[in-house]
Amino acid sequence: MRFYPTIAALLLLLTSLGHAQDTAPSEREMIQQLVQQVRELQAKVQTLESQQRCAPLPAPGAAQPSLKPTAPGQTTDAQQDALRKQLHELNGIRWRGFGEVDYKALNQSTPELGTFGFVPGSHGNFYTGDFDLLLTSRINDKASVLSEVVLGEEQAQTFGVDLERVLFKYDYNDHLRMSFGRYHTGIGYYNLAFHTATWLQTTADRPLVMEFATDGGPLPTQAVGVSLTGQVPSGAVGLNYTAEYGSSDTVRPDLNGVTLDDEHNSNHVNVGLFVRPDPIPGLQIGTSIYHDQISDTARGPTVRLGQTIANLHVVYDGHGVEFLNEGFLIRHAYRGSPLVYNMPAFYSQISRQFGHIRPFFRYQYINANPGSVLEDISLRHGPSFGARYDFSDNIAFKTQLDHTLRKGQPDLNGLHLQLAFAF
Amino acid sequence: MAVVVNEKNPVENLSKAELRNIFAGEKRSWPGGLPIKLFVRAPGCRERDALLKLLDMSESEYKKYWTAKVFRGEAQAEPVALFSNGMQKEAILLYPGAVALVSFQDVRPGMKVVKIDGRKPDEAGYPLN
Repeated sequence: MRFYPTIAALLLLLTSLGHAQDTAPSEREMIQQLVQQVRELQAKVQTLESQQRCAPLPAPGAAQPSLKPTAPGQTTDAQQDALRKQLHELNGIRWRGFGEVDYKALNQSTPELGTFGFVPGSHGNFYTGDFDLLLTSRINDKASVLSEVVLGEEQAQTFGVDLERVLFKYDYNDHLRMSFGRYHTGIGYYNLAFHTATWLQTTADRPLVMEFATDGGPLPTQAVGVSLTGQVPSGAVGLNYTAEYGSSDTVRPDLNGVTLDDEHNSNHVNVGLFVRPDPIPGLQIGTSIYHDQISDTARGPTVRLGQTIANLHVVYDGHGVEFLNEGFLIRHAYRGSPLVYNMPAFYSQISRQFGHIRPFFRYQYINANPGSVLEDISLRHGPSFGARYDFSDNIAFKTQLDHTLRKGQPDLNGLHLQLAFAF
Repeated sequence: MAVVVNEKNPVENLSKAELRNIFAGEKRSWPGGLPIKLFVRAPGCRERDALLKLLDMSESEYKKYWTAKVFRGEAQAEPVALFSNGMQKEAILLYPGAVALVSFQDVRPGMKVVKIDGRKPDEAGYPLN
C-alpha cells in the first residue's frame, strides 16, 4: 500500500509528459504561422516603402493632409498649406554661394595680371579669388529680384565688396523680359553664361578677352541700366534678342596691376541676336554690337573715342561636350581724328565629360594696337589645357597649364590649381 | 507618361520640342502670358526618369543646369520637386499655370491631359512612351 502514492505520482508524471508531447506540435505550428505572417507583412511594408520612398514625415504639429478624396477643383486648406510650405511660397530670400581657393605659379616674377591677390613679384602664391553670394527673391509670378554680392581678394589679402549685379526683373511674357539695375553686359556669350562663379565654368580662369575689366580685361563687362531680352516668333529656329541701354564706367588696371585707367564711359547701347534651334538642343549661334564713348587720358583729359565691339559666337553645350567659340572686333575711333584702331580677339574652348573628369583645351588670341588704351595687352596668344574633376555636384578641382606667347616679351608659362565649390 | 495641366489651361497640344523647352525653362509663359509653373517629381521616381530622358540629361547635369539658370537670372528658382503624385495633383489643381509629368495610370480627375505631337498617351506613336 505504501507504494500506491509513488505509483500514482509516476502515473501522473507520465500522463503530463504525454500531454505535453501532444500540445508542442500545435504551438510550434502556431509559432511558425505567426512567423510566416510577420514575414509577409514585412515584405508588404518594404513594397509600400519602395513605392513611396521619398515621402517626408509631416512636421510636428502640422495639419495632416486629409486622406478623404477630394472632388476636382476642391482642395482642403491643410493640403494647400502643406503644398505652399514645400513650394516656399512665403516671401523670403534664397541664397546660393560660390567660392574658390586658388594656387597660381608663373615662370617669371614680373607681375602679370597682378590682381586676385596674386602677389606682384611672386612666382606663385595662394589666393581666394571671388567669394560670390547670389540672392534671389520672388515677388510674384512675373517679378523677382536678383543680387550678386562678391567679396574679392585684392592686394595684401585685403578684400573688397562689389555689388556685381542687382536687378529688378519683370517677365512680361516670353517675348519681353526686362531687367533694371546693374548687370553684366551681354557682349557675346561668356559674360552672361558664367558671370563671376568659377564653379560654373570649366576652366580655372576666363579667357583674357572676357576677363572682367576690373581684372584687366579689355571689354566693358558691367553697366547700370535696362536690359531687355526675349524670344522672337521664329518657330523651330529659336530666335532671341538682347537690347541694353545703360551706363558703364570701366576702371581697368594694366596687366601689370599697377596703373589704373578710368575710361569715363558714356552711355552705351548693346544689341544682339542669337538662335537656339529646337532640333539641336544646346547649340547657340549669335552676334552682338556694342557702342559707347570712352576717354584716352594718356593723350589728354578731353580726348574721346568711339568704342564699338562686334561679337560673333558659336557654342554647343550638350551630351557632355562643351564647345565654345567667340570672335571679337574692338574698334576705337578717335573723335576729330582719322586715328582708328581695330583690335581682333578670339578664343576657342573644347571639353568633354568622362565620368567625373572633364579634360579641356583652349586657345585664345588678342591683338591690341600699340598706342591704344589697351596697349598693355599687346599681342598675346596661346593654349591652355587641363582638366576639371567633380568630386560631387558641388565641388570641383581644376588643374590648368597655360602657355602664352607675347610680342616683345618672353613666353609666359603658368600653372593654375583651383578648388571651386557651390553651396 | 502623360503631360498634365490645370483644367483652366486652354492648351490642347504641344510639340515634343515645345515640351522640352518648357521643362528646360526656355519657355516660361503659356500663350496669353500666364506664367508656367513647373512641377517635377523628386529623384528616384519614374516621372523623374522620364523628365531626364526628355531633357537628355543625367541627374548631375540637371542639377547644374538649373543652378546655372538661376544664377544667370533666367529662372526665378529651380522647378519644384514634389515627393508624391498626390502633391503633384494638388499643385495642378492649385496653380492655373501648372504643368507636370505623371504616369498615365495616375491621371486623376482635375488633371487635363495635353496631346504631344497630336497624340494622346494611349495612342500609337505617342512620343513619350
